[in-house]
Amino acid sequence: MLRFIPLVWAGVWRNKSESALMLLALSVGFTLFGTMIAVNAAYEQAIDDAKMDRLVVACAFDCGSIPLGYREQLGRIPHVTAVGAVVWIGEHEQDAQHPITITFVDEGIRSAWPELPMSPADWRALDVTQTGIFLTRKAAARRNVRVGDALTMYSGPQGTLDGTGIYHFTVLGFIPDPPGWRSAGGGPSEIIIGNLRYAQNWGPPDERDRASILRVAVDRPENARGVCREIEAWYTNASPALYCLPARADAQETAEANINMRQISLGIGAAGLFMILFLCANGIAESVRERLREFGVLEAMGYREGHIATLVILEAAIPTLLAAFIGGVMASGVDALVAHLALTGVIEMPEMRSSLVAFGWALAAALLIALLSAVAPLYRLRHSEVAAVVAGL
Amino acid sequence: MSGLRQTAAVCLIGIGTLRERHATALVIVVGMACVVGVLTSMLSVTAGFARAFVRPEDATLAMVWRGEGSRFDQARGLQPDAVATIMDAPGIARSPDGAPLADGEFLMWIPPIEGFAAGSLQVRGVGPAGIALRPAFRIVAGHMFRAGARELVVGVGAARKFGLTVGSEVRLRDGPWPIVGIFSCGADIIESYLVGDAITVMAARRRAGFAEVIAQLADAGAYPGFRRWLMENPALSVYVERKTDYDLRELGINTSFFTRMSYVIGAIIALGALFGVVKIMYAAVRARTREIGTLRAIGFGATPVVVSVLAEAALLGAIGALLGAAIAWLMFNGREMWVWGAFRLRVAPSLWMLGLVWAVVSSLLGGLLPALRAGRLPPVEALRVE
Repeated sequence: MLRFIPLVWAGVWRNKSESALMLLALSVGFTLFGTMIAVNAAYEQAIDDAKMDRLVVACAFDCGSIPLGYREQLGRIPHVTAVGAVVWIGEHEQDAQHPITITFVDEGIRSAWPELPMSPADWRALDVTQTGIFLTRKAAARRNVRVGDALTMYSGPQGTLDGTGIYHFTVLGFIPDPPGWRSAGGGPSEIIIGNLRYAQNWGPPDERDRASILRVAVDRPENARGVCREIEAWYTNASPALYCLPARADAQETAEANINMRQISLGIGAAGLFMILFLCANGIAESVRERLREFGVLEAMGYREGHIATLVILEAAIPTLLAAFIGGVMASGVDALVAHLALTGVIEMPEMRSSLVAFGWALAAALLIALLSAVAPLYRLRHSEVAAVVAGL
Repeated sequence: MSGLRQTAAVCLIGIGTLRERHATALVIVVGMACVVGVLTSMLSVTAGFARAFVRPEDATLAMVWRGEGSRFDQARGLQPDAVATIMDAPGIARSPDGAPLADGEFLMWIPPIEGFAAGSLQVRGVGPAGIALRPAFRIVAGHMFRAGARELVVGVGAARKFGLTVGSEVRLRDGPWPIVGIFSCGADIIESYLVGDAITVMAARRRAGFAEVIAQLADAGAYPGFRRWLMENPALSVYVERKTDYDLRELGINTSFFTRMSYVIGAIIALGALFGVVKIMYAAVRARTREIGTLRAIGFGATPVVVSVLAEAALLGAIGALLGAAIAWLMFNGREMWVWGAFRLRVAPSLWMLGLVWAVVSSLLGGLLPALRAGRLPPVEALRVE
């Protein structure tokens, strides 16, 4: 195979400017393909991260809040292993252009939502500092805050006990973004963890002893649906009544609701590949057409059909693989742009992460395109007579 | 021969030779078809959404709600006494029996049906004027709900999406409620909801309060007085806006990500196609070198040659754009989608035009450098090329 490399290389760079343009076009096409694969993978990952044995419990009708007293009642249901309360309070920081929502949690969340990436030391620090908060790294970077910094939130008139609506926080530390659908259960798009006791003591009196949602852990995933049905049945006539969803089902259904970016991303990726295929096939067909005599000479020198086919396929594969690699790298940048656009919009979209999966798919697609592009030129070569080709007929 | 006639002649010659270069021409056509197909397909979502949510016939409707800026359909800020005060505002149209054409309404989430995301299915509580405010409202199966009865009607969009029909039941707080009818409303977003008598639904949910009042104004000129009267009433503390303005603002917020994403993707794929066009047009100029040399030798100027290359690129781009838009139209136009409600995708004429402009501009940019090279080819050297 190695002896073909000089020949292939000479073929690829026969016309440098056109080869460079082809490489650019293919790279941009693969950038789009890589981005779309990353979008799709982000949804798949978000659904995979959401666990079936974690339940989200919210009020069923005319959503307000849930009495904290439900925690103990839910804890007595068979198969329930932990119950934790979450309260969301938010509005903005210094002005309306800087929205913020704090996710206040209680001690029960440690077991009911163990995916929340807080260490035992973090939990201890939160427990002893009522006004303390932990920010995910992205939330911290957005605000450029450090440990020990103060952060102030305005939660609207009547948002606090004294009527000022102002909460003062101290940054205790930073945590990675928790896995899973970033707004599972209808929560905020960024996670800043606070101490539920602060919300209870400083929040408005009519919201005292109430939670936005309850998170419930069950012993086994197969019991999740049954526990949900039991919770809903228990509270059918309560005020408020409850509904319950396994976190994984919630993630799946949210992915299908709204604008289905999974389906759309696959369609766009396919269109990008189709464009690349035509461009590549045309390039390789043109190259073979212009070098028929060269191939004829090679055949006359004893190159077998298999050798010539290898040459043509390699000539197609080198630029496509190179473009797939460049496109994969560039897609990481576009992923960041898409993630930024998603943050500024209201669409529900999971965290985008550059992944090897996108690279792998791009390389596989590049190989497939190279093979498909070589089909027509090889057919033409196979049906050419050596003598006629060498004679230029 | 004048410059214009020369240009026309060279363009015709160039386009005439496309048959011999059909494979390369096809690459541009397919590339631009992909660009425009992707762009128009994505924007058809926004166009369809806009058609469902922003309706020109609502131009004389006004919205009144509590709070500032954004209305929240699930809010319960307007108590019945406030709604009664709003009904007294000047400028509201009257029904033949003299009642104000204004209605206190709200939306209420109900527990998700298994297999659908939470918040998918909502009940809209409407009052006596609710139907009069929506002239396109028609019962297409069963019958209308009766005021005071625990009955609901379901919009055709929600009926299709959730498999609901006359005789189905949905669970509200006080138990199951039967669906007694199916309605259509000229593709309005209300077709995505269950609709019931506001007071009866309110009693079932055990919480009073409306989210908004929708008022039919006597004419468009009545709005300033109507707004001033309500905004200056210290007892109300409400916000007032024309319904079309409000809907347009909300549409912008809700679709901004998707619209921007569409243009980002459209730009990326167009950039790829643009590089492809440059490559293909360079090859085309190379293939036509002798022909161009001959034309230059017999007295044709450089400008007609440049224009002919650009015209060829633009023509192929335009064909690709029409093909891409046609494919998008065939695949998506009229297809039902559900985003906060049912609506139909719409490959509108404006999207065809946008795709055409997008593709032609990309093709012209891509054809520019090859065209300049063609114009600069020295005739003597061009004639020597084999």
